[in-house]
Amino acid sequence: MHGSSDSAALCLPFRFNTGLPVTSSPSASNQDLLPLDLSYGQLPGSPDEAFDDQGALRPHWANFLQSVQALGPQAFIDRLNKARRILRDDGATYNIYSDLKNPTHTWALDLIPSLISSEEWGKIEAGLLERAELFNLLLRDLYGPRQLILKGVIPPEALFSHKGFLRACQGVQLPGKNELILHAVDLMRDQSGSMCVLTDRTQSPSGAGYALENRTVMSRVLPSLYRESHVHRLAGFFQQMRTTLTSLSPNHDQPRVVVLTPGAHNETYFEHAYFANYLGFHLVQSGDLMVRNGYVWMKSLDGLSRVDVILRRVDDWFCDPVELRSDSQLGVAQLLEVARAGRVAIANPLGSGVLENPVFMRYLPQISKQLLGRELRLKSVETHWCGLADDLAYVLDKLDQLVIKPIYRQAGSNSVYGGSLSKEQLSELKQRILANPTQFVAQPVLQAGNMPTFTGDKLEPRPSLLRSFAVASMNSYSVMPGGLTRVGRQQSSFIISNQHGSWSKDTWIINSEPAISAAPTDKEDSLTPARDADLISLPSRVVENLFWMGRYAERAEATMRILRTVFMTLNGEEPVTASCLQQLLTTVAHCTANEAQLPSLLKQPDQELLKVVRDDTYSGSVKATLNAMLYCADESKELLSSDTLRVINDIRDALDDLDTSLNSGLASAPEEALDPLVTALMALSGLAHESMVRDLGWRFMDIGRRLERALQLITLLRHLVVPVSASETDQATLLQNLLYTAEGLISYRRRYRARIGVQPALDLVMMDTTNPRSLLHQLESLKLHIDALPRATENRHELTPEQRAVLETTTRVQLSLVDQLSVRKGKQREALGSLLDTLSDSLKDVSNLISDRYFDHREISQQLVRSSWENEP
Amino acid sequence: MRYHIKHVTEYQYSARVSHCYNLAHMIPRSSLRQQCLSSHVRMSPFAAHSARREDYFGNQAFHFEIQRPHKQLVITATSEVETGPQHSSVHLDFGLTCAEARELLQQSNQPETLLAREYLLDSPMIKASDQLREYAEHSFENDRPLLSAVMELTQRIYEEFTYSPLSTTVATPLTEVMATRKGVCQDFAHLQIGCLRSLGFPAKYVSGYLETLPPPGEEKLVGADATHAWVSVYSPSEGWFEFDPTNNCLASEQHIITAWGRDFYDVTPLKGVIYGGGENPILNVAVDVNRVPTNSV
Repeated sequence: MHGSSDSAALCLPFRFNTGLPVTSSPSASNQDLLPLDLSYGQLPGSPDEAFDDQGALRPHWANFLQSVQALGPQAFIDRLNKARRILRDDGATYNIYSDLKNPTHTWALDLIPSLISSEEWGKIEAGLLERAELFNLLLRDLYGPRQLILKGVIPPEALFSHKGFLRACQGVQLPGKNELILHAVDLMRDQSGSMCVLTDRTQSPSGAGYALENRTVMSRVLPSLYRESHVHRLAGFFQQMRTTLTSLSPNHDQPRVVVLTPGAHNETYFEHAYFANYLGFHLVQSGDLMVRNGYVWMKSLDGLSRVDVILRRVDDWFCDPVELRSDSQLGVAQLLEVARAGRVAIANPLGSGVLENPVFMRYLPQISKQLLGRELRLKSVETHWCGLADDLAYVLDKLDQLVIKPIYRQAGSNSVYGGSLSKEQLSELKQRILANPTQFVAQPVLQAGNMPTFTGDKLEPRPSLLRSFAVASMNSYSVMPGGLTRVGRQQSSFIISNQHGSWSKDTWIINSEPAISAAPTDKEDSLTPARDADLISLPSRVVENLFWMGRYAERAEATMRILRTVFMTLNGEEPVTASCLQQLLTTVAHCTANEAQLPSLLKQPDQELLKVVRDDTYSGSVKATLNAMLYCADESKELLSSDTLRVINDIRDALDDLDTSLNSGLASAPEEALDPLVTALMALSGLAHESMVRDLGWRFMDIGRRLERALQLITLLRHLVVPVSASETDQATLLQNLLYTAEGLISYRRRYRARIGVQPALDLVMMDTTNPRSLLHQLESLKLHIDALPRATENRHELTPEQRAVLETTTRVQLSLVDQLSVRKGKQREALGSLLDTLSDSLKDVSNLISDRYFDHREISQQLVRSSWENEP
Repeated sequence: MRYHIKHVTEYQYSARVSHCYNLAHMIPRSSLRQQCLSSHVRMSPFAAHSARREDYFGNQAFHFEIQRPHKQLVITATSEVETGPQHSSVHLDFGLTCAEARELLQQSNQPETLLAREYLLDSPMIKASDQLREYAEHSFENDRPLLSAVMELTQRIYEEFTYSPLSTTVATPLTEVMATRKGVCQDFAHLQIGCLRSLGFPAKYVSGYLETLPPPGEEKLVGADATHAWVSVYSPSEGWFEFDPTNNCLASEQHIITAWGRDFYDVTPLKGVIYGGGENPILNVAVDVNRVPTNSV
């Protein structure tokens, strides 16, 4: 199953979801690369963006390359490193879950932008506008009168055999002149020197957010060069996008626009969150939305809020399990019917994927004449459709010279270059085409024009591809002045395979005579509208993730604290007795909620403790807990500040480093390996405390934190203090462990200056509200938070069950007497034990009560009629 | 002929359904030989929202959402329909030959023929295959009138396949139907469509009802009728012709059309998504087709 994956373009199959190993990214930080060669020459016999027909550097390229050379190698490398750092801090990644071993697939940006003069761009832009207008008319016709078929412009099979033609979408209509809201095009310069369109993206085009991120980074790392170049700004395009989306609303009063994402696992999730934030829209997943009484609603903490416009990043076929793909978990049941009734606007409209059918390229001149009254200015790649006898014969004859492309884009269907196949593979391909000729097109292999690209130690020519973006505006379209340029990693092979990945470049449209230009003074990020916290209610899923993020962060910290303490005790000067060790290990097992592993933990403590740290498959391990925490962070990414995202990145890095730093086993101060992680987690909680707005999101995160910390303290006390130790020394060691873990050792020593005793320890760890790590402190904070949560207006003065539970817990602790708690009865401190058990039960109740009341409990949905085969489109 | 139709669909769930979203094709459409005079759909529990529209194929689609918890869902669709015979008369032994029909299909730029080509293509539940073509082709000699060939295919399916209500679930792959030579009306319709498309003739799936008459002298039983399915084949410049392979006949006035599409997938009587409901819901469908005496109107 996939969401809106954006796969290969024809000749340069770059894709966004390709893992690019960081080591080979252009921003490699290796200082050994010096000295660099920043000069650039044309590759003989292939067109280059930087050179004109006579082989002379074009003026704007000459200026730019001169400035880069003037920077010098050291400064260039510094800027590269800075760019890399910003991308990482912004979380500009993709598909981080595909590769657990190397999750930091930072977006790869080349510092040499693609430069296009404004005259040249003027022509391209006019061509793109015209193309967007044509595709809009095409969409209307295909789901409307189908004149193109009735007038014989295209054969019926060109439309009817395409799986992206969703018959259920007949009759959906957006308000206004434009049905197609977003249109993206992949273009390249061919050998003749003219721009040529390879593909159209009309489903839920991705890349505009990455283009914006590239621009943001470039303007920060090369500020003066950027300023002096008078680059056309991107902000206007996004402003237009915001205006257009808002204007689609069927309601005119404060429309609510949401960005529908398949979820954090999607390869372009970074962009979804980035967009939502930049445009000031909510980022939602299918479970956050529901249809009720003929409208779409978002489930939020304060109930249901109506949704007016959906910017979808989910492919149309997955959007509605009632009428479209029935087993889809990424859609909203009955969404299509609401859209059809005009009660919600979806951009791009459901069904628009049909425009990506490359068969239309075969007929584009005729289609354009019919719908626009003229042929298009921008040419498209020559396309042969195997559904036509003559074309089929041609394709089969030249199979080894063409790129064969399935007409419907879906997981597992890729373009293949005939020339790269063996004889057997060619004949197998031929059989596949013959079995279903309408499903294939063939296109010639085009050599893309080159562009100067930094390849690690010098500038080299690399083939490039531009993805441009257009958004509907009043009566026509606005084209982003620029776009996302991607370059191949290899010069020699023109098919740049997915495995090789690609680098991206910012695209600068620059006036060739800078003096004339009146560059707008607004900064790129000036658009970001102020969020009105009152107007925006959080989706309950996001809040739930914040709650769990708090719990997991605290749980990981607690686990590391106890582990650090145990490591130090094990490697300490004084030997530990067997019974003391057993008690410590028992505590570890309980703190990680993994009592089942206790026997093996006791048997081979060294080996097993390492697992508790770094084994992702070991329940309750530091790594497993932190991975869960990172997942929650990703799911609520749009609410986290950039500083928080930076700390999250640090945690991710420190987690990766764990393996190497622990390779020598427990012999060499394993506690030190945990220090960077504990520090990063402290930074996270510090940020939450110091720089998060005190809204409901923050409250839920802190509730998670407090609950978890209280529960962990209870577990520590339960296993370190309740059992009576064999000797005084053991008792002291265990209490020391407790205090060290609860960060109370220093205060204790300062306060009591005596050997450690049970009563003062309990006083400090349980009762002392001035100690921010004491149990009572957690309970009091919890009480404040829970009292502040929104509730139904009836029974305003009656306490809710969770308020009662917290109050009861707090009071129990307050009414306890340390002397009574420390009384031994046989081998146990019974009073303490039973108090802790009661507290633990009540706190677990609190967690469940909060979860029941505030979080979304989606029931499992099922199809009324089940059949598996209808789900192939 | 005028009919009063009552179509009751009942789901019994093993667990509570909190809410559900559905799409029904239960209201008879109008066509050249049929007019739907009135119709009504009633749901229990009440729907929070419902809407009716004409779908891509011109069928009546009915959407509803229920937001009350329930363990039983009952949909009652009632309608009054006036039907007529197909065309004024059908002469199976005249008309276009198979070869002429094939040629016209590719050459003609008549709108109806261009649009009919949609029904030549594979659809969600029907894929053309050599097996189907080989099974059917000897009835379709080039110089034989197309309709007479289709009638022979109808008869062969009737004779060579066993009607067996228990043999298939809602949706049986055609390869299985070919192997077991058993099925229900849906399977026979799918089979015949698959054969026709494999040979290059456009065919669509028609769902509806068939009026059954009790043996002479007996009372008709309540709920004894059933939903039915047959096929419609396109002959260029002549139009669409409906055949019923389950009963070895051309569709008559007693065949009341609900909806048509490429196959069962396009016209499923009731589909949707339910939340909760547990496993193995029990489905009961009862249909009554009653003639309305014209003199009473």
